[in-house]
Amino acid sequence: MTGQSLDARAAGRQFRAPFRAYRSMARMALRSLVAYPVSFVFNLLASAFGALAMLYLWRAVLRNGGSAIGFDWAHMKAYLLITFITGSLVSGYTDYQMAFRIRQGDVATDLVRPVDYQRARFAETCGFAVYEAGTAIAVAACAAIAFGGVPVPPLRAWGLFLLSALLVLPLRFGVVYASGLVTFWTQNYVGVQAARIALVTFLSGAFVPLGLLPEWLRLTADVLPFAGMASTPALVYVGHLTGRAAFTAVAAQAAWSVALWVLARAFWQRASRQLTVHGG
Amino acid sequence: MMRSVSLIEATNLTKVFRRADKGPGLRGSLRHLVERRFVEHVAVDHIQLSIDAGEAVAYVGPNGAGKSTTVKMLTGILVPTEGDIYVAGRVPHRERIENARNIGVVFGQRTQLWWDLPVRDSLELLRDMHGMTQSRFDKSLERLDAVLGLSDLLSVMARKLSLGQRMRADLAAALIHEPSIVYLDEPTIGLDISVKDRVRAFARHLVAEGTTVLLTTHDLDDIEDICRRIIIIDDGRLAYDGDLESVKNTYARDCSMHFQLAAGAPVASVSARLPEATVTLGDNERELIVTFDRFALSTGSVLNAVLPDGEVLDVSISEPAIEDVVRKVYAGELRLGHSNGEAAT
Amino acid sequence: MGKPGRPRRRTGLYRAAWLYRRCLGAHLRSTLEYEADFWIMSVTAVITQGIGVIFLWTIFRTIPLINGWKFWDVVLIYSLVVIAEGLSQLFTQGIWNLSWVVNTGGLDPMLIRPYSPVLQVLSSEVGMNGLGNMALGIGLFAAAVSHSGVSWSAWRVALALVLLVSAALVKIGLNLVTSCAAFWLRTTYSMFPFSMHRLGELTRFPLTIYSTAVQLVLSIVLPFAFMSFFPATSVLGHGAPVWVGLLTPAVAAYCLFMGVWIFRLGLRRYESTGHLGRACRVCEAGHLRRPG
Repeated sequence: MTGQSLDARAAGRQFRAPFRAYRSMARMALRSLVAYPVSFVFNLLASAFGALAMLYLWRAVLRNGGSAIGFDWAHMKAYLLITFITGSLVSGYTDYQMAFRIRQGDVATDLVRPVDYQRARFAETCGFAVYEAGTAIAVAACAAIAFGGVPVPPLRAWGLFLLSALLVLPLRFGVVYASGLVTFWTQNYVGVQAARIALVTFLSGAFVPLGLLPEWLRLTADVLPFAGMASTPALVYVGHLTGRAAFTAVAAQAAWSVALWVLARAFWQRASRQLTVHGG
Repeated sequence: MMRSVSLIEATNLTKVFRRADKGPGLRGSLRHLVERRFVEHVAVDHIQLSIDAGEAVAYVGPNGAGKSTTVKMLTGILVPTEGDIYVAGRVPHRERIENARNIGVVFGQRTQLWWDLPVRDSLELLRDMHGMTQSRFDKSLERLDAVLGLSDLLSVMARKLSLGQRMRADLAAALIHEPSIVYLDEPTIGLDISVKDRVRAFARHLVAEGTTVLLTTHDLDDIEDICRRIIIIDDGRLAYDGDLESVKNTYARDCSMHFQLAAGAPVASVSARLPEATVTLGDNERELIVTFDRFALSTGSVLNAVLPDGEVLDVSISEPAIEDVVRKVYAGELRLGHSNGEAAT
Repeated sequence: MGKPGRPRRRTGLYRAAWLYRRCLGAHLRSTLEYEADFWIMSVTAVITQGIGVIFLWTIFRTIPLINGWKFWDVVLIYSLVVIAEGLSQLFTQGIWNLSWVVNTGGLDPMLIRPYSPVLQVLSSEVGMNGLGNMALGIGLFAAAVSHSGVSWSAWRVALALVLLVSAALVKIGLNLVTSCAAFWLRTTYSMFPFSMHRLGELTRFPLTIYSTAVQLVLSIVLPFAFMSFFPATSVLGHGAPVWVGLLTPAVAAYCLFMGVWIFRLGLRRYESTGHLGRACRVCEAGHLRRPG
């Protein structure tokens, strides 16, 4: 029995050591953003301008009678600000850093480290996300005040909303990580990243509530995982997704998170083979 | 007596860098907004330079002595804090583009080639910027190719060149427009010995053609055989400015000969024959080292003093090197005067 | 090996323009070596901008007008931004490297060449995504004017072309102005110019949807509105007093002049302090963003 408990303890220690490594990676990632506040502020400003444009545009749209749209201005404001916050998570540090290191060849050192590449990137993403979330919420709050306040969901909806919001993280990571892996094949990542951002943002319902899309686009968005990145938590917040439908949607977020994680691992095998065979 | 105006003339040349002295992180930056403190670093401290056309000058000093800063001011990249510079009658930082037409610069630590272009394209762009005719360009390239061996480099992108190849290409880029003044700023840094030799041979070739060369380096082997004049700068200040040979003759007079003998080294008897020399044992009892003033004794006479005492298996002679002098200057053992090489203590 | 030497000496503006063309040409040749990249950049540019149009189309399915603007009017305004960006990417993409160049000492080799350092920096890269943007932008512009109900005379066509080019020059000038922050923000990459670029993208939509404060900023402080909105109103003949759009060439000249002037100020600062820049490793690795 002492042998058994020794084994158990050894197994526990073995599992715990890598986790500590990931936690410190997350902390380092967070600290790297905090160390350069000026730079981060401008980055935040850049995305805030985009949100600003959307707010003004929709205000103009809804002024002309947005009855067909199904949103009133108050709820549209809330919708757009929530999608702004979710859009700020996993915004671009992880994949761009990946692309940069892959292009420079530094990825070789990453590969020989005794940490799982994908888990390591996820740890960094979580580190960044803490900062991104904090600052995005602050900016969104200011915007909310500037535009006359936003409605707040009832208490019972908060649990599901927060869960939905949290699931945005692994979901976005899956897409952003896969996108970063593309650098194993191309030299130039900037264009790829821009296109990825445009496509994903649109199909996630961040600009336009998915219900307003024409039939064929809406079907496309339904089969893709992007809806869970913005639309689902935003709709839960404004109360357009409730009850059964809401649970289903959040479950879909969770399911897609897992699926993307697994798919990314397969993608990684192909990518690292590309590196070792073709020299990167 | 009418003194001809030098090609490069600098008086009281001073450069002071002011850096914000702020603590690390956000708190430091904020505090600096309120309480502005600066740290001043005097990189170049009131130096005088006077270089005539066709001279080859070695500008020597330890790391951080202010060599690169001086060159940057001479080429117009940096504005002096104090003092005047005239290069061919122009003030470099005021007439930068005009000055640029007559100079070639090799920065040892960075390339002036376009990073993403093949070397040939870089050279052709420079041809166009300098307004060279095609025939003049071709002739210049041919001459550079003969000395540097560029044919294998021309089609390669600058970022794919090895350090040695990049240095050769940079030399070509600096000289393609046949400038009359060339600044070589640490041209042999990081190169392996074969490429260093090639660069040095090229520098000698330049000097022979009559180009004015200012060679900054902290590798002292660079300057032997290339430069006749040496300027030593230390901590931003001029330590010495004068003829290389007279420096060596004044401060590097010691020569030593190492004898490997078949039997035991006869220290005492040799010492008796050469009272002015220092005779010591080498690493083993059969090795004899004789250190002497090469102006007082000839190598022949030293040899004659050792031969009678036994069979000499091997002899080697170490010549005086400028390194020894400069090392002494750096170490503060020696303070040299100007031009006439007299020691100032 | 080469053509016979040209006996005529090039001087002044002609020389500057000729050298600019030579530099661009050299970089274009080396960019075209990466064929895959060329297609990737062109296609991703079209996707990125195209999504914006689809977005507009989706909105206009539900409502006929935004602030009095019809769909094709808005597309016209949008297309001008795309064209301006396309032209600046094709001809002045190098400006986005300014932070890197200034803070890694890359400016020194430029300063010892007998050619303007501003022009050297601007011509140091060709952005192939500009091609995709030009194609899409011109297509959108053509579609928009055909639906606009504007009567086309020769004079109107000439005006439209002048305004198009001026609009692009406004963008280029403002890119230059904002990029010069590199001389004061001593990091190898700064998000400041990119964030200002995103501010400019607000002018994809009719200016009138914004609050007065925003409109003033975009018209006067950083006159991005002259990149799209005001020229568009001149072409369309409504939305703002026609004479405002006609100011676009003057605004372009002003922006370019300011850009060159601020660059010279920055250069003077560089010449007195040297390039003791800090490397911002997060910046290098984290967010080297530029317009897509």
